[in-house]
Amino acid sequence: MTKNLVNEYRRRFLAGLGLMVGATLLPELSNTQAADVTARPENEPASSHKRWGMLIDVKRLTDGGAAMVAACQHEHGWGHDPQASAEQQAQWMRVVKVTDKQTLHSFSLPVMCQHCEKPPCVDVCPTGASMKRADGIVYVNKHTCIGCRYCMMACPYKARSFVHEPLKDQKPHSPRGIGTVESCNLCVHRIDKGQLPACVEAAPHAVIFGDLQDPDSRISQALKASGGTQIRADLGLNPQVYYLNI
Amino acid sequence: MSAIFKTLKPLLVLLAGVWILVGCEAGPPPTNLAPAKAKAAQCVEPTADIRKNHMAYLMQHRDATVLAGIRSKQYSLVECINCHVDPKRADGSAVHYEDRDHFCASCHTYVGVKIDCFQCHADRPELANQTNYQHKLGSAESYHFSHQLGTPAVLSLQDLQTITSGGVQ
Repeated sequence: MTKNLVNEYRRRFLAGLGLMVGATLLPELSNTQAADVTARPENEPASSHKRWGMLIDVKRLTDGGAAMVAACQHEHGWGHDPQASAEQQAQWMRVVKVTDKQTLHSFSLPVMCQHCEKPPCVDVCPTGASMKRADGIVYVNKHTCIGCRYCMMACPYKARSFVHEPLKDQKPHSPRGIGTVESCNLCVHRIDKGQLPACVEAAPHAVIFGDLQDPDSRISQALKASGGTQIRADLGLNPQVYYLNI
Repeated sequence: MSAIFKTLKPLLVLLAGVWILVGCEAGPPPTNLAPAKAKAAQCVEPTADIRKNHMAYLMQHRDATVLAGIRSKQYSLVECINCHVDPKRADGSAVHYEDRDHFCASCHTYVGVKIDCFQCHADRPELANQTNYQHKLGSAESYHFSHQLGTPAVLSLQDLQTITSGGVQ
C-alpha cells in the first residue's frame, strides 16, 4: 500500500515536471516551426509571391553544421552510394572550414545550394532541366537532365553532384538516379506540405527559415535587425541563403 | 517416295507451324503476382482506363509536380507504389522492379515495355521503421542522428504530449 502511494507521488511529480517542461518548450516550438512555412493546398502550384530563404547563425552552430549535413543525408539518402569512391560521393551539403591566414581565426559553415535569384546553373543548362521554381527554389528536373554536368561547372558554390552508378531503394520523396545531376532542393517536398527543411529542423536554434518576400516573417525581421551576409555576394547572384557571424 | 514427300511438304510445314503456335502462352499473365498492400475496390480511374492510359496520367502529373509544384495524390507514382507494391514478400525478401512479381514488371515484361522510372524512383514503399525519424525535440549536438535513432536525449514530442495531456496517472 505504502509502495503504491510512493509511486503515485512519483508520477504526480513527473507529470508536474512534464508540464513545466512543456510550458517552457512549447512556445519555442511554435516559434521555430509553426508560422514559418504554411502548407499550400496540394492542387495549387507554387506561387511567386513567396521566396523561401534561410538565415544561418554560424556562432550558434556548435558543430559547424555537421548535424544539418547528417539530417540532409538521412532525408535524401545521399553520401553512401555503394560503388562511388569518397571523391565521387554525392554531396548536397558540406561543412566548409575557413581560416584567416594572418590571425588564424577560423570557423565552419554549412554550404549547400544557395538558391540564387539569378542562378548560373539555369543559364548554362542545354535542356532546361536545371530550373528555378516560381517560389525561388533552384533544382534539377531529372526527367530532362542528360547528365552533361555544365551546371556543376557553372555553380560558384560547388553545390551540385553527379550520380555515377545505378541505385536502389531511394527515398520515395527524393528520387535520385544514375546519369543525373542533383543538389539541395530546399526539401521542396517538405515545404509543399508546410514543413521545414530537414536541416533547419536539425538545428532549430541556429537557423531561421521563411518567406523573404513577407516583411513580417521572422526571417525578414531578423535580417532587418541584424543584416546577414550572402557568401560571394560580389557575384551578384543574390542567393537566398544568408549567414550571420561570418 | 520423294514425290509423295514433295507434295506433302507444304502440309507438313503448315502442321509444324500450327504445332509451334499451340505451344505459345494463351493469354496475358495474372497482372498482380505480388500481394497488394491495401488495394481499394477501384483504382483512381476505372481499371480499363488505367490499363490503357496510366502512362499518360503519370507523365502529365510528373510535369505538373516537378515544374509547378502541384502535389495532388490522384496520379502520383508514389501513391501507385504505396497501394500496389508490398515492400517485402512473405519470406521477407525485397520486391524490386527487376523481379517478375513486381506489380509494374508483371505486365511490362509480358508486353515488352522498357521504362526508366525506377532508375530514380523508389520501386517499393518505404519500410515503416525508416520513416518518421524526425520531429523530435533537441539541439544540434544532441540530435538523434548521431546514429542512435529513436533514443532522443530529451523528451520526445510524443512523450511531452502524453505527459501534458494527463496521460500519466
